[in-house]
Amino acid sequence: MSLVMDAIKYLVYILVFPGFLFCFLSGLLLCGIDRKIVARMQKRVGPPVLQPFYDFFKLCGKETIVPAAASRTTFLLAPLVGLAALVVIQLFIPVFNFSAFSGVADIIVILYLLLIPALSIIMGGAASGSPYAGVGLSREMVTIISVELPLVLVLLAVGKVVGNAMGTGLCFSLTQIVAWQAEHGSLIATPSMIVAAIAMLMVIPGETGNHPFDAAEAETEICEGMLAEYSGAPLGVYKLSHAVKMLTMTSLFVALFLGGIGGGIDRMLLSWGLTGGAAGVIAVLIGIVVLFVLCAIITIISISLIHAATARLRIEQIFKYYWTVVTGLAVISLVLAWYGM
Amino acid sequence: MFKKLIEESTGKSPWLFHINAGSCNGCDIELVAVLTPRFDAERLGFKLTGSPRHADIVVVTGPVTNQSLPRVLRAISQVPEPRCIVTMGSCPQSGNVFRGSYSVAGPLSKYVHVDVDVAGCACKPEAVIDGLALATQILAEKRRAMK
Repeated sequence: MSLVMDAIKYLVYILVFPGFLFCFLSGLLLCGIDRKIVARMQKRVGPPVLQPFYDFFKLCGKETIVPAAASRTTFLLAPLVGLAALVVIQLFIPVFNFSAFSGVADIIVILYLLLIPALSIIMGGAASGSPYAGVGLSREMVTIISVELPLVLVLLAVGKVVGNAMGTGLCFSLTQIVAWQAEHGSLIATPSMIVAAIAMLMVIPGETGNHPFDAAEAETEICEGMLAEYSGAPLGVYKLSHAVKMLTMTSLFVALFLGGIGGGIDRMLLSWGLTGGAAGVIAVLIGIVVLFVLCAIITIISISLIHAATARLRIEQIFKYYWTVVTGLAVISLVLAWYGM
Repeated sequence: MFKKLIEESTGKSPWLFHINAGSCNGCDIELVAVLTPRFDAERLGFKLTGSPRHADIVVVTGPVTNQSLPRVLRAISQVPEPRCIVTMGSCPQSGNVFRGSYSVAGPLSKYVHVDVDVAGCACKPEAVIDGLALATQILAEKRRAMK
C-alpha cells in the first residue's frame, strides 16, 4: 500500500510540482516578464506577459519539417532529452523547506545535469546537418566551457561556508544548505557570499544563453545557430527549455543565497499558531509564491537589465569575460570562504 | 481544448521572415522601422526570425528579379504550414518602375499565392502594421481550416 502511495507521490512530484507543470507555467511566465521588462526599458509597450505561451502553442500547431540531410531520430528526440534533464534538476532544487528529492551531494548532480540541455541542443544541431548549426554548436561549446568554471567555483565557495559552519568540511547537499540557512539566516549576508552572489548573477545569463552572451544563438547573424533547421513542436520544446532554464538558474540562486526566507515563513506560520500537516502544505504554497517572485526579481536584475543595456559580445569576448572578471570574483569569494569570512 | 489553444495562439504569435527580392532597400528599412520602439510591432507578437523554418509570415520586398526568383520560391517552400505571404511595396505587386525590365521576373503573384499586398513606394509603417495584422487573421483562418 505504502509503495503505491509513494509511487503516486513521486508521480505528482514529477508531473505537477516541482516537476513538469510547475516548470512549464512559471518558466514561460518568467520569460514573458523578461520580454515585457526589456520592452518597457526600451520605451516600448511590449508583448503581453503571456506571449511565450502563445508562441509555444502556436509552434505546437505548425508543420514539423525534417531536413533531408538530418538524422531523423536524433533530430526529433534531442529537444525532449534537454527538457527532461531540466525538469529533473528542478526536482532537486528545494523550495525553501520542501524538497522532492534530496541527497548527500545533489549540487554535483545538478552541475552534471545542467550540461545535458546544452548537450541536447548541440546534438540536435549537429543532427540537423546545417552549416549554421555547425557554427552555433562550436560557439555553444565555448560558452559552456566559459560559464562552467565560475559556476563550479561559486558552488564550491557556498559548500565551504556551510560545511565550515556545520563542521563537516564541505557540504554539497542543497537540502542541507537550505535547511542551515533556514536556521541561521540567508547566506547572502556573509561577506564572501556577497561576492559569490554577484558572480552567480553574472553566470545566469551566460548559462541560459541570454543577451549579451547569446553568440551561439545569434538570430541576426547565424539564424539562431543550432535551431536554424527546427520548426514546429521541436522548436517549441527548445523555446520551452530555454524558459525553464531561466527558472532553474534563478531558483538555484534563491536556494543557494536566499534560503533563509524559508525560516521566516516557518516562524510566521508559528506566530499564526499553525502546526502539523496543514502548516506544511501552507508553507509550501507560500514558498511557491515567494520563490516565483524572487525568481522574477533575479531574472529582471541579471537577465532583463543586462539585455536592454548591452549589445551582443563576440565569442572570444564572452570567454575572456567569464575567465577573468567572473572567475576572479568567484576565486575571491572562495578565498574569503576558506578563511571563514 | 488543446486544439482550441493552438487556434487561439496562432493569431497572436506571428513570426516574420523577410526576403529581399531585389529591393532598393527602401521597404526593408520601413519593415525594420515597424519593429523599432516607435511603432513596436512586438506588442502584437511579431518577431523577426532569421530562418524561414521558424516563420509564419513571409514578407517579400523588391520586384522579384530573375536571379532572385528561384531563391524566393525555395525559401517560401521551406516555411512550415500554415503560412502567409505578404508583399511589401509596389514592386512585388506590379514591378513598379522596374516593370518590363529584362531582368525582372515579377510580379510575385504569377508564381505563388499572395495573401496580402501592402502598396506604397516605400509603404508607411502604419500600412505595414495594418497589412501584417490582416495577414495574422488570415493565418488564424488557415490554421482553423487545417483538419
